[in-house]
Amino acid sequence: MLRGVSLDVARGEVVVVVGPSGSGKSTLLRCINLLVEPDEGRVFIDGVHVNTPAIRPEWVRQQVGMVFQSFNLFTHLTALQNVTVGLIRVKDESKDAAEAKGKELLARVGLAAKENAYPAELSGGQQQRVAIARALAMDPKAILFDEPTSALDPEYIREVLDVMTTLARDGMTMIVVSHEMGFARSVATRLIFLDEGKIIEEGVPEEVFVHPKHERTRAFVSKILR
Amino acid sequence: MGLWRTSSEDRRRRPFLTKETGIRLLEMFVGGIIFLVLLQVLLGFSVFDATFWARFWNSYTRGLVGTLVFTAIIIPVSVVIGFLGGWARVSRHRVASWPVAVYVDFFRGIPPLVLIIFAYLFGQDFLPPRVFGRGGAYTVAALALALHSGAYQVEIFRAGFQSIPRGQMEAAHAVGMGQWQSMRHIILPQTLRLSLPPLANEFATVIKDTSLLGVVGATEMFALAQEFQQQMVTFGIGPLVWVFSVWTSVALTYFVMTFLVTRVLLALEHRFHTPGLEALSL
Repeated sequence: MLRGVSLDVARGEVVVVVGPSGSGKSTLLRCINLLVEPDEGRVFIDGVHVNTPAIRPEWVRQQVGMVFQSFNLFTHLTALQNVTVGLIRVKDESKDAAEAKGKELLARVGLAAKENAYPAELSGGQQQRVAIARALAMDPKAILFDEPTSALDPEYIREVLDVMTTLARDGMTMIVVSHEMGFARSVATRLIFLDEGKIIEEGVPEEVFVHPKHERTRAFVSKILR
Repeated sequence: MGLWRTSSEDRRRRPFLTKETGIRLLEMFVGGIIFLVLLQVLLGFSVFDATFWARFWNSYTRGLVGTLVFTAIIIPVSVVIGFLGGWARVSRHRVASWPVAVYVDFFRGIPPLVLIIFAYLFGQDFLPPRVFGRGGAYTVAALALALHSGAYQVEIFRAGFQSIPRGQMEAAHAVGMGQWQSMRHIILPQTLRLSLPPLANEFATVIKDTSLLGVVGATEMFALAQEFQQQMVTFGIGPLVWVFSVWTSVALTYFVMTFLVTRVLLALEHRFHTPGLEALSL
């Protein structure tokens, strides 16, 4: 899927990845937290070479959180339990400490009142915000967003993007696969256009949108900007 | 807050024995009494007849104990088989899933009666007689029934596992859980909850299928009732109308056992009720 992709993300950067479906955007994200084992090449997190047998993928995934297109909240757990389960089971934190932290994070994504609701009782936008709180709970060095707003009804997109924007402003390192061009323009430090497993073009969002260098980028940008 | 408590907080701490369960039990009890009174009035016989019970009591209790013991062997053994088998069935590793597939095909396709007869005939060769005595063959026959029901339960648990979306496992991995932790804390609770309704069905079947063990002479309710009926007819132990009383009490006993076991599972269902796992309510 990916062919010769080289990507270096600095701390605090917000990289937005765009590209046609099947271009390898999801694969790129999944290679970073090793949900997909790269066949070749090396992944470094904070200078540590992580895709070697010496390092447990579980450890890597604690360093890099992930937010999914379809939320993937744990159906049988409440919003608060979704946020705390990693703290309790993976980080061995006490239930009290985890819940205090979980409540704080839910408040941060504007869902303090929903801590006891099950995912099915929440709107798509609320579910995705819980998912962001769940990723934040592990104190990750970076968070990967895999089309976080693509499955949302239009009226819920704003609230999720707002949370992501605040996160970015607070200095979180983020790699975001998304076609939300408004978000890319206002928040991203870099835009990457991926096609057929290769990085075709990268640069400041405004630059790539207004003056795409490559024919393929131009064609794609004209389609998503309409 | 109101008469109907529906907030999530309440639901999370739903009691094991719900009010609904209590009301149902009462309904069944009243229904049973009406049924018995009707029998009494219409057919002129009684399952409360003291002289009948004086004669039947011995066979009945011995049979009941046998049936309870067989049920107590078969249900746990078959659940363990079904659960582990269902888990193996969804494994990526063919060495784990393939033998279970063969097992399921085999035991679902063979009549349980034939299984029991074979198990009885060859059972004694499997167990040390000093430990199990003459009952050994019957234990093996019961285990054969457990294997039979286990095959069905493998499919119940397999369906439970397979109705959990892939994303659940992926999300569990993404928060840093290992394979075992993801299974234990994310997948299994959902699988077990989803498996409860079909399991209640299967348990009801198991309880009544223990009557098949009577065919090889095991001490259980069905066989002893039949034996008692035989004696009644042959030796004129009591009036012929007692035949109805024998089978009515047998039927009621199986009914009560089945009812209690399925109610326990229903109570568990309520206890672990999760919105979203039961998506549809009409």
